[in-house]
Amino acid sequence: MVRCEQIIRRFRPRGGEVNALQEVDLQVRQSEFLAIRGPSGSGKTTLLLTIGGMLRPTSGRVTVAGRDVYAMSERDRARFRADNIGFVFQMFHLVPYLSVVENVRLAAGAAAKRADHSQAIELLERLGLSERRHHTPAELSSGESQRAAIARALLNRPRVILADEPTGNLDPDNAAEVFQALASFHHEGGTVIVATHGTLADKHADRIIHLRKGRIDESTPNAQLTPAP
Amino acid sequence: MTSPGLILREIAHRKLNYLLSVVAIVTAAALFVAFFTTGEASKRETIRLVRDIGFNLRIVPKETDMDQFWITGMSEHTMPEECVTRMASHENLLYNHLVARLERPVAWRGRTVILTGTAEEVAPLGRRKPPMIFSVEPGTVRVGFQLARGLGISVGDRIDILDTTFTVAGCRPEEGSDEDVRIYADLHDAQRLLGMEGRINEIKALECLCLGSEEDRLAALRQQLEEVLPEAKVIKIQAIAKARQNLRLMVERVVGVAMPFVLVVCAAWVGVLAMLNVRQRRQEIGILRALGYGSGKIASLFLGKAVVAGLIGAAAGFALGTWLALEFGPGVFKLTAQKIQPMYDLLGWLLVAAPAFAALASFIPAMVAVTQDPAVALREE
Repeated sequence: MVRCEQIIRRFRPRGGEVNALQEVDLQVRQSEFLAIRGPSGSGKTTLLLTIGGMLRPTSGRVTVAGRDVYAMSERDRARFRADNIGFVFQMFHLVPYLSVVENVRLAAGAAAKRADHSQAIELLERLGLSERRHHTPAELSSGESQRAAIARALLNRPRVILADEPTGNLDPDNAAEVFQALASFHHEGGTVIVATHGTLADKHADRIIHLRKGRIDESTPNAQLTPAP
Repeated sequence: MTSPGLILREIAHRKLNYLLSVVAIVTAAALFVAFFTTGEASKRETIRLVRDIGFNLRIVPKETDMDQFWITGMSEHTMPEECVTRMASHENLLYNHLVARLERPVAWRGRTVILTGTAEEVAPLGRRKPPMIFSVEPGTVRVGFQLARGLGISVGDRIDILDTTFTVAGCRPEEGSDEDVRIYADLHDAQRLLGMEGRINEIKALECLCLGSEEDRLAALRQQLEEVLPEAKVIKIQAIAKARQNLRLMVERVVGVAMPFVLVVCAAWVGVLAMLNVRQRRQEIGILRALGYGSGKIASLFLGKAVVAGLIGAAAGFALGTWLALEFGPGVFKLTAQKIQPMYDLLGWLLVAAPAFAALASFIPAMVAVTQDPAVALREE
């Protein structure tokens, strides 16, 4: 489903050069739940944004669902992203002036196949937010905000969810709920790639990779980490 | 949600920012409307004011000896009275406010006075305007300030001039010129008194300000007079002409400088607010990008918002500007106050121009929004 070949991403902040990703090779199967672990600054977010077509690599190739993401025009890439990729961020990034249901439906605005209002309501019900659908983000708790963001990511039935520290601002209970939602998507056949520096994803992940200084340091099938009792 | 829906919701969310943008456009539109409405009044007022400086053209018989003319202040030659009607009937005449006069120094009550016969002002074809000077009814006279004061003459007195009795219809205010020693009579009365029926020695006029440079103007005036009235020549009083021209140009320049200045300031104001809005919405733009929204859609959110501000600003600015013009214009432009009216056709122009102006002012911020790196915004905490 996702293939990264020799991805290099350099940033040039003032007075230096940062190698955020260094020759990263990664393959993620369809319906795989991949956790990317690593300390802050290890390149997790950069890798997710690169896979998601949001950050062109300095060199290398990214393929999602068989399409070379950066060979497309910006317009095609935007449409491809809308149809195939869902993003979940640590900071939720809900639009402050829209209600929960409007935030969820925002995802439909750019997709080829427009999801309707009832699908948004159904998703909110599944995520326990139907009572809050007319509330604004300012009126939600962190956990609710993140679940709303997940609903938005799921609306267009994407093939891949890219979640960047989705539980970074949540308490353990809400974090567990968020991972449960991602796991449900995974069980329905979706591919999930989660960047995290915690261990909460371990329970759901098929595989865990460790990023250090922009390189994949270790790739471990989850069975080895948590052997069945 | 559609772009208009997003625009309206965002406007409702960030009211203050939006209100300030609208205020900028209202200010620009209101000042434009006020300037334009009163600018027209200002032009009319200036025309009236400069007109009241006095006639700047003197048309005298061609054979007038100019040395003598400047010494005595009048032509000793005469021309037919019908010259004035002949001039007035000419199309596209470069002369306005034609007044036929006959003046001669006469001895009266032991002193020399200038008996001045003046006809009613004649307007050229298609250019009827309020008269510049007073007229004198037959059988009456108006007495110059110096004469009235020196001889104790007052309104209603009956005075004899060259064996004819006249009623004093008015005493002129002090002018500080030879006007103060004139006795104004109806032209035909004066002609009869002087035994010069059907004759005049001067036509006073005001030049039409429809010509080009100063040199061209006098040449054109002379050329036209040669065609219309070959028996006459024109003398232009340069000081009055220049004062008149300069005053009008000054008013036009003031409006010409002030309006672009207002527009630039308001455009900068709208642009800065739009830029602040873009900065405020960096992460929103980032998430829209992540959701697959293209550059066109994102630019349309900012430009559409500017267009809405332009429409509101145009309507409110027109109302405010018109109110300002109607409220304060008459106090400034006293002579033409009655003519200050709402200019409704400006509203149509404003409804097109103000949204375009706002969109133009927001164009750079919109491009910044489109080109900003969403990855950077989305990584910000």
